[in-house]
Amino acid sequence: MVSAIHTINILLPVFYLLTLAVYFYDFIKGEKKLINVKRVFLFITLFLHLIYIVLRTVAFDHPPITNVFEIFTILAITISFSYFLVELVSDIRGTGPFIIVLSFIFQLISSLFIQDLVEVKDVLRSNLLGTHVISALLGYSGFTISAVYGFLYLVLYKDIKLNRFGLIFNRLPNLEMLERLSLYSAVIGFITLTIAIIIGIIWLPVAFPNFSFFDPKIITTSLVWVLYGIGITSKVLGNWRGKRLVLLTISGFLVAIISTILSNFLAQSFHSFY
Amino acid sequence: MNLLAISINHRTAPVELREALFLKKDEARSFIKLAKENLLKEGLILSTCNRTEIFGVPATSDLKHQKIQELLLNFKPAQNVNEDHFQKYFSRDAVKHLFSVATGIDSLLVGDNQVFKQVKDSFQIAEETNFAGYFMHRIFDSAIRAGKRAISETKISDGAVTVSYAAVQLTEKIFSKLNKKSALIIGTGETGEIAAKHLAGKGIGSLAVTNRTHEKAEKLAEELNAKVIPFLEFKESIFNFDIIISATSSHEILISKDDVKQAVKKRSNEPFILMDIAIPRDIDPESKKLDHVFYHDMDSLNVIVQQNLTKRKAEIPKVEKIIEEELNNFWEWYNSLQAAPAIKDLRELFEEIRSEEVDKNKNKFSSDDQEKLDIITKRIINKILHHPTIELRKNDNASGLGDASSKIGIIRDLFGLSSKQKPDKK
Repeated sequence: MVSAIHTINILLPVFYLLTLAVYFYDFIKGEKKLINVKRVFLFITLFLHLIYIVLRTVAFDHPPITNVFEIFTILAITISFSYFLVELVSDIRGTGPFIIVLSFIFQLISSLFIQDLVEVKDVLRSNLLGTHVISALLGYSGFTISAVYGFLYLVLYKDIKLNRFGLIFNRLPNLEMLERLSLYSAVIGFITLTIAIIIGIIWLPVAFPNFSFFDPKIITTSLVWVLYGIGITSKVLGNWRGKRLVLLTISGFLVAIISTILSNFLAQSFHSFY
Repeated sequence: MNLLAISINHRTAPVELREALFLKKDEARSFIKLAKENLLKEGLILSTCNRTEIFGVPATSDLKHQKIQELLLNFKPAQNVNEDHFQKYFSRDAVKHLFSVATGIDSLLVGDNQVFKQVKDSFQIAEETNFAGYFMHRIFDSAIRAGKRAISETKISDGAVTVSYAAVQLTEKIFSKLNKKSALIIGTGETGEIAAKHLAGKGIGSLAVTNRTHEKAEKLAEELNAKVIPFLEFKESIFNFDIIISATSSHEILISKDDVKQAVKKRSNEPFILMDIAIPRDIDPESKKLDHVFYHDMDSLNVIVQQNLTKRKAEIPKVEKIIEEELNNFWEWYNSLQAAPAIKDLRELFEEIRSEEVDKNKNKFSSDDQEKLDIITKRIINKILHHPTIELRKNDNASGLGDASSKIGIIRDLFGLSSKQKPDKK
């Protein structure tokens, strides 16, 4: 089983790259006949990824959520799976390559550095931890997709303003749709991150004796949560829209990314207390 | 194949000459009557703002294009029209030209699918006046199939190729549902009217028009079920609209940057689309610098139009391939109308039926009688086919689209002989 895990670990970035290539080719060419082909590629990649996660969970007796490289592979699948659903539901074309590229990057980093961890602390096998981490990851996936749509909004906004009617103009959906997709992704991300924070506040102090509310991860996540909270409330109240709203989603994403890099790579752990 | 065609079109004649020879529907009907009496057995008249074309099967084999031209010029006298303004086609070239027209590659705006509908309308008139005979039906079917394939299999009709339509398509790149948006058209001249109709066609939520001459605005508003705003008051209400399309002949700026700024403020930064398709411009171009404002003028919209035209032109080889395929299919069918292959197919069919029945029943006869059965049934088939064979051979040497070809076509249809040919591409 372990050798199968190792093989799929190598194959996954290749599959994501192939899927990305098909999506990118479709973006350039805009051929109608490629719609189903690219979806098949994405489906096969997601299916392979799911098998990989199940195999890892069974083989190492814990879900792959105990360190940053395990978490990256979960991020890769949640981002692409969320996009897969968006594409099926909305039938929106042209945004796939910009999202799948993120899955490819996350999976590539994960595949390069992930290790076969059999021994993990008992506390990391807890179901509550699983729910906390999975909901936090869904939150971050939502924010990632929201930021991508926000970024595409800005690019298209600028292209239309400057009379640049090239590939971006021809392939992307309209501005209103991009804004809506960015908002919906942000709302879903906000809700799931709220769940992660609530579980964290209740469970973490009990599970970890060294728990501190001044943990950098908690502070930055709270900042990200507040930023998105302000943005979504402003949109609901009708004060913010368009460019201002997408700038906020991008800022929220950048804060989230920077906080992850700082707390995970510099501190070499997910929270400072374990 | 004896099919003639003459065409005066946007490549051969200026607009005033094309206008002079334009045939309205009633005129086309009268002209068909005249043509049937004098020159043509069957045919098709296609008349649009860009072309007047006559396709026909001559009543006599010596008929020349010149005669059809003369008939048209006598029917619709037009000064300054001469021989050079007509293109002439014969046989396969005539069919190919009709296919080129139906697919839109011969149009002034390449890929214009309006002409596809006009070809259909022309055929409708030909049918109503009994001008569309056996061959024209078949030619028309093939032309329509070529036109449909060009639209569905290529991108020949994709994208806006007029400034008015480009303006409307650009709004669709900003708003997702036009049925929830409102638009104001300033100026109800030809350009404004076309833009208003495009918006109405796209299902705009609410439409308002304003014009210096109030009556003109009212007339268009009535046609499109739109509101009318008095020209002197429209500036105060621009903030109520998501889309403003301005196409007046005013020599001064009608909407200043400050007007736009105020409107954006009142709209709480909702996107505000300003399409200035007037020359000279109606809206201060500095407005484009404002956030949430999408300002476009003729120059920027022309960029879209030119890009789309270039893309459409790149699709022409694909359409030409479709035309060639349809032309070959048509020609295969036409060739099957020659007597010799038709007689051969007919005889083969009868022989197939005969031998099948003989095989099924020969066991009911003694071995001596089986041979007789074979001989007798063959004789019966020969006798049945004798007269039709003589009749078909009579006209075997006649060329062109004559009665013999019609007879062969009918025989093929009646006995299902057409099914032996390659199936048509749908």
